[in-house]
Amino acid sequence: MHQQAQLRLKKDEVEKLGALVFVVLAMDLHRTRMFKEENLLLGGGKGKFGKEKSIVYATALSDPAGYASALYGVARKCLRWGAWVENQPHWFVIDRKGKITFKLEPKFDTPTAYEKDVDLVLEELKKAAR
Amino acid sequence: MHGMIIALAGLFLLPCAGLSQPTSPIERYRKLEFPPKDENFAKGWQERVALEYEIINTADLKALRLALKDEDPFVRAITARALSILGDKDSADALAELVKADKEYLVRIRAVESLGYLKMKPQVIQMAIEDRDLGVSWVAKLAADQLKSDTDYAKQLREAYATPIQREAMGTAKVGQPAPDFTAQTSDGKAFKLSTIVGKKPIAIYFAAYDG
Repeated sequence: MHQQAQLRLKKDEVEKLGALVFVVLAMDLHRTRMFKEENLLLGGGKGKFGKEKSIVYATALSDPAGYASALYGVARKCLRWGAWVENQPHWFVIDRKGKITFKLEPKFDTPTAYEKDVDLVLEELKKAAR
Repeated sequence: MHGMIIALAGLFLLPCAGLSQPTSPIERYRKLEFPPKDENFAKGWQERVALEYEIINTADLKALRLALKDEDPFVRAITARALSILGDKDSADALAELVKADKEYLVRIRAVESLGYLKMKPQVIQMAIEDRDLGVSWVAKLAADQLKSDTDYAKQLREAYATPIQREAMGTAKVGQPAPDFTAQTSDGKAFKLSTIVGKKPIAIYFAAYDG
């Protein structure tokens, strides 16, 4: 969710590049809609995204059977740290020729690691836009 | 002589050994080499995905209803999900019991989610909102919303699972290779197909966990 919130802060840069951004959820349409439209996880908190109603700028895609997730190798369907996890989060960048040029597995190793992750994705989008 | 006896015994025993192999997808899920426990997070996911598809598409309702009482909580959880996706309203009472009494939170989550897909047992869903586990409470709130909706979420899921994914296709997205095509639905319900937009603009795709 932080990755999406951070991307939203950079939407001007994404638009300048003429890029398209998507977030895929291995969940039903209702959950995908809630993810897109409601700030359920960060809303109400004291963090910088706490007062936002919706923090997802990317087009949210429902992949309820996890087909795309399996194709891209990110499906897990497993417990992790005691909670059920459908997907291990990953970024992919695709260039104008339709080739994957970049893959990133966020590590969530610091509270603000997502900022660097999104900057890396933007750098790769710039290259992919050429 | 001894050798001959052993060889003959082998001839009789081999087919029996073959018969003892688990054959139903539920049985194979129960015997997964890497069951969905924390320590297997990065291992064996392909088999978990493949079996989930197989359990749903085989649609063996009789076996699934029995498996709701399985000793293995992972089996109870996937069974609850499968029965609701298959639209099995006859399992609603058993699912409600799991919501109320199963000691494993993952099973209660799947069971309450399933009641939402089946659009049944609103009182049980309401009760689950007060569950001691925050995850169950969260999913129960979503299920309560789904009860009010006209959308047939179970049917949407059934349709999504109807296209099986080949094992050799799993994990084929690689840097330097063409992006594999897939279909999905946008959050406002429109059909999406990656290949219709690939090649026109640079694209970034984030595969998210709900909280990641």
